[in-house]
Amino acid sequence: MSQDYPHSPSPDSRPAQTPAQSQSPSRALRAPLAGVRIADFTIHAAGPFCTHLLSQLGAECIKIESLTRPDAFRKPHAVYGRMSAATFDQVSANKLSVRLNLKQPEAVALAKRIVALSDVAAESFRPGVMKRLGLSFDELCEARRDLVLLSLSSCGQSGPDSHFAGYAPLFGAWGGLGWMSGYSDGPPVEMRHVMDHAAGVHAALATMAALNQRRRTGQAQHVDLAAREVASAMIGDALVLASLGITPERPGNADLAMAPHGVYPTAQPDRWLTLAIRDDEQWRSLTRVLGQEDDDARYATASARVAHRADLDRLVTHWLATRDAESTAEQLQQAGVCAHVSWTMQDIASDPHLQARGAVTTVQAPGIPARLAVGAPARFGATDQVGIRRLTPALGQDEDYVFGELLGLDSAQRADLEARGVIL
Amino acid sequence: MQSKETQHTDMLPLSGCRVLERSNTVAAAYAGRMLAALGAQVVMLEPPGGSSLRRAPPLIDDGESALFAYLAVGKRSLAADPDSASGRALLERELGAADILIDDTPLREREALDLTPEAVRRRFPDLVHVSVLPFGAAGPKADWDGEEINLLHAGGEGFLLPNGLSHELFPDRPPLKIYGHFGGYQGGAMAAFCALAAWWAVPAGGGQYVDVSVQDAVLSVGAFALQRLGDGSLEHRTSRRFRYGGVFEAQDGFIELLTLEDRQWSSLVELLGHPAWAADAGLRDPLERSRRGDEINGHIREWMARHPVEDIVRRAQELGVPAAKYRLPAEVIHGEQERARGLFAPAVLASGREAGILVAPFQFRCTPLPREGRVPPLDEMAQEAST
Repeated sequence: MSQDYPHSPSPDSRPAQTPAQSQSPSRALRAPLAGVRIADFTIHAAGPFCTHLLSQLGAECIKIESLTRPDAFRKPHAVYGRMSAATFDQVSANKLSVRLNLKQPEAVALAKRIVALSDVAAESFRPGVMKRLGLSFDELCEARRDLVLLSLSSCGQSGPDSHFAGYAPLFGAWGGLGWMSGYSDGPPVEMRHVMDHAAGVHAALATMAALNQRRRTGQAQHVDLAAREVASAMIGDALVLASLGITPERPGNADLAMAPHGVYPTAQPDRWLTLAIRDDEQWRSLTRVLGQEDDDARYATASARVAHRADLDRLVTHWLATRDAESTAEQLQQAGVCAHVSWTMQDIASDPHLQARGAVTTVQAPGIPARLAVGAPARFGATDQVGIRRLTPALGQDEDYVFGELLGLDSAQRADLEARGVIL
Repeated sequence: MQSKETQHTDMLPLSGCRVLERSNTVAAAYAGRMLAALGAQVVMLEPPGGSSLRRAPPLIDDGESALFAYLAVGKRSLAADPDSASGRALLERELGAADILIDDTPLREREALDLTPEAVRRRFPDLVHVSVLPFGAAGPKADWDGEEINLLHAGGEGFLLPNGLSHELFPDRPPLKIYGHFGGYQGGAMAAFCALAAWWAVPAGGGQYVDVSVQDAVLSVGAFALQRLGDGSLEHRTSRRFRYGGVFEAQDGFIELLTLEDRQWSSLVELLGHPAWAADAGLRDPLERSRRGDEINGHIREWMARHPVEDIVRRAQELGVPAAKYRLPAEVIHGEQERARGLFAPAVLASGREAGILVAPFQFRCTPLPREGRVPPLDEMAQEAST
């Protein structure tokens, strides 16, 4: 159990056993966000990823759900072929769990008491829901006058579309990222979970800025993040062009300044090599490693290669057709060429580099056999206390700590609240 | 007595935070860009010829980089030749004034510049030193280099795209990258996030070194696929598709439609006008719908092709069916929602021309973010000082 949680684990908690915990004790500083507490009302993917990141850096995150409105990972997800609750859910790892039926005023009052003891409250409901629950920014600030509230939604807290609900592919569609992604002659492409999580990373960044601001000013802040605006931020360059009346091109795998640039087949089926040739020197290195001549004038300069991109792609495809992808990538990297195999998750799972960095880590807990998870989002020089400390919480598993120790409710009070469906 | 402008500046989230940025990659530049948008004073220390990003596509018709304009708005520029004594002195001076250093100098060049973690910590113990590299600064591949297309595939998401309609239409084509610098932006946002977390911890333990990898960041946002592997499923772009829903071509554009919940399915049936095929009792079962996804999509495609986009999405949102138009960049720039929220603000480009540039993908409702912006001409700080 990490020292960052100021309480003993309840009997059914599941402390993760990660390699990070067995590392040298010399880097003994606490995680950067140790001591920060989050009241977490977020659900699904984008909001929970934000608070998961904050928790990986040491924040104590109290996840507030109920039996009647559990988060998505606690239910089957037929669209993905999961027919029961997830036994491990990356974005809920590290979090503490309590139950509150927010349809009951007493539960709302308890939620406010948790907020009063928290630095940050985070929510990802459709705009208006928190207000209907009695948990608006103004009401929460009555509980905690210097609160940082993060509201993450599809379209933001204001504007004519603010009531629109959506998922990751819709964020990409609204924001323009979906249109700009795609084969040049094909339809737009739908974004998947990376779009949710990109919103979560930006939300974590904004939340940290608000916390630093609070330390300086002592004032509350309401951070309003619209996932579709994160999708727009991913095409910020194309939007500069559009603002000047220029129609940006959809380049597919091509680059406007680099050629060869793309994803090329190799000797093994469905094994692709990605290449990006920046300049003439790298072009010469590529031809040398592949044992080819580079005396064709059409490919002598970067602009000439870009102009003859289609011919060049056919040529490189021919050159690579008999090559082993992984060893070619290594040879090219040694020659200073940007190359990498298009990796499956199996490749990633077994990569020594990602494991050495702790980006891929093994976690296990009672009842959960060892499995891989994504570890700390970065390596911090002063501490090894970042990363996953415990796995997916059982619903309500941390109520002894949160309701008992933090809120001071005794067992009779809690039993009464449970009997009346406030804690449910 | 403070001027009005100064008072406003003091109220920004990162007022008083000084950032030194050495960037040749989108990831490092985006980290600095996010911090600048939040009110930090960000100084780009550029080589005498300017950052290579000043020449990166896409270009505006006069040759100015739209990418650089987007990444540099709100920052200051100072040129320094790190190989000269005066350039080194300038670097030292700026490091001494900074709270956060964002640096993407390749590992092999750091020692000569005294920019190793140990050398920086020795001289500036309270500095937050953030390294942003394609594969990070530690690990067996730390000296590997990569552009966006390499990193998107090294982090796992590249192999999984495209899904749905694009893959159905072009099953034999190579995997397809996301537009632009999606992976670089994740690396940059992660770097800015970690920089602010480390800055938060300075009073408790001083500055520290933070090692951010774009590959790690891509994997991090793609974590769900690793979770799926742990559940026993190796994802592939051919099979990672919604059983029904996805991208549809309407009369005059493309639509994304996705119904994950039962009530949304009922609303979709209403949107489609209660067609006879949807009355099939078997389709009340979500699992049966998943099994017959291709059949359902065939019906939806046929219906979509007969209706205009705007009619479909308006009615869909009224009924609670998640649906959105695939909007073109021009539609985003001129969108009502974006205007109402002030997502774009005019900024003066290095050429003196004015363009609309996205302010930031988040709002601070108590202290709005700065909206006035300009793209700094190369070495503007030195030139201002000499005039």
